[in-house]
Amino acid sequence: MTGLTRRHLLAGGLLGASFGLPIPALSATAGSTPWRNWSGGLSATPAGRFAPASEAELAEFLGSTSGSLRPVGSGHSFTALVPTDGHLVVIDQLTGLLDHDSASMSATFGAGTRLGDMGEPLAQIGQAMLNLPDIDRQTLAGATATSTHGTGIGFTGLSAMVTELRLITPGGEVIDVNAQSHPDLFNAARVSLGALGVITRMTLQNRDTYRLKAKNWVQPIEEVLESFDEMAASHRHFEMFPLTHSYYALTLSIDETDEPINNPEPSAEEAAAFDQAMAMWAQTPPRDRRPLVNGLAEQIGPSEAVDVSYRILSNVRNNRFNEMEYSVPLEAGAECLREVLRTISEQEVDVVFPLEYRYVKRDDTWLGMSSGDEDHAAISIHRTASEDYRPYFDLIEPIFWKYGGRPHWGKIHSLGAAELTQLYPHFADFQALRAELDPQGRMLNDHLRKLFIG
Amino acid sequence: MNRLLKLGLAVTLLLVLGSCGETTDSAPEPVADIEAAEADAPTAGTLTARQMQQWSDSCALCHVTGVADAPVIGNSEQWQARQAQGKDVLLAHTLEGFNSMPPLGYCMSCETDDFSAMIDFMIGDLQ
Repeated sequence: MTGLTRRHLLAGGLLGASFGLPIPALSATAGSTPWRNWSGGLSATPAGRFAPASEAELAEFLGSTSGSLRPVGSGHSFTALVPTDGHLVVIDQLTGLLDHDSASMSATFGAGTRLGDMGEPLAQIGQAMLNLPDIDRQTLAGATATSTHGTGIGFTGLSAMVTELRLITPGGEVIDVNAQSHPDLFNAARVSLGALGVITRMTLQNRDTYRLKAKNWVQPIEEVLESFDEMAASHRHFEMFPLTHSYYALTLSIDETDEPINNPEPSAEEAAAFDQAMAMWAQTPPRDRRPLVNGLAEQIGPSEAVDVSYRILSNVRNNRFNEMEYSVPLEAGAECLREVLRTISEQEVDVVFPLEYRYVKRDDTWLGMSSGDEDHAAISIHRTASEDYRPYFDLIEPIFWKYGGRPHWGKIHSLGAAELTQLYPHFADFQALRAELDPQGRMLNDHLRKLFIG
Repeated sequence: MNRLLKLGLAVTLLLVLGSCGETTDSAPEPVADIEAAEADAPTAGTLTARQMQQWSDSCALCHVTGVADAPVIGNSEQWQARQAQGKDVLLAHTLEGFNSMPPLGYCMSCETDDFSAMIDFMIGDLQ
């Protein structure tokens, strides 16, 4: 942003108050288009959408208006972070590579940039992200606001890779935040749920470009669990996808390589075979499915792919779904997963979607899923978007609680302030900082009130 | 190749990697795709500069490469069947999501009029 200073913005934002002028309330925009999230499970009719062309425009807007607001990234969250009858703030014009430093291997992006649009510009400056989540169509702001993470005991979630950010508060104040300038705000704002204002840019710690080799194979779930710690320690990334109603898991390891790129697309024939398999599984009652799934799993051969890092770490998910993910302390991970799988089997839950089980390194954010003094195991369950996820998720969620699980902020959960206070040592600190930055609560919707007010 | 092995590869690739036809290293670069698509874009249906930016940042993710069976911009064969359903149906699918396409097609800032213009833009000369 050229020529814009915090002072200018403060002046603009406080102009009305300084001269005793009323701050205009945001008015409804007739005919505003309804909003829905990626899975289609959430909807709202916002009063309007505001998509600023610059940080200055956003600061002016926030500083000169009142009324409810919710920032939205790509709408990938399954929890009701976005729905509002106020205005949506969309930062899809605050995008792209803004700055970089080759010495520290860091780069600054507009926070509206999609993760999938960062790999190529970073490669052009000789940098690459340390890790990426499985899906890369979220915006940088949205992914970090929800503590989105990738896989690997050696890697924190994305939020802890942020070294500096710019926050425009609900009142229009522009604050450049890093660990030295505002330590508490830095630890809160890296996982903010969009509750502290609107983050417009972020600087990430990166590294030099690299190539990765992914290997997939099928292995009995118990075998994988018994060697999981060893495998997680010996591979850059290691995770498994337990097949429901089966003894087997699909297993994935990813390591650095100098091998030539070889990452072929699945053929149409393979895609058709996949569709047939899923249809066959879905048509077979859960109690009868185990021999079928086991038999098919045993036929699955290993496969490999080599590509630049960002094309191996993230993938496009074209089959829309809803998801619940909890992280539990590492030592509880295997037992928690076993109980989830046992419950699915015993209760004959009619679900075809595999689970996902992976490790995430601890970090120093206040509300990160793996924040604090211990690493975590993340366990995910899914339902296709066209199915009612509630009976399945309602059955499994108490198991996650039993093992001290923390919910992914962007994925389905039912916890509120009372429970969350017990799970995060700094939850009360976050609540206090939120109230200080947004005393009028204009960034709150019903979901956030449940989380932070109770 | 053994059919079950093919099935296994498919399951592995599509569940584990989840890449249902996503571009790979051998595919054209996305930026080049978009530029080529814009250069070849049909004349019927025009977008404002802002709508073109929104389209490039969202709709183009799938409607340039055809990922997830999305109809490719300007491909008359692919769009004819869709157009036969009527503009209102296409617009409803865009707003509510349809098959692999998420509601709003990833454009969180777009209003209904923007989507209407983008549909016309992609259908092009067929209108």
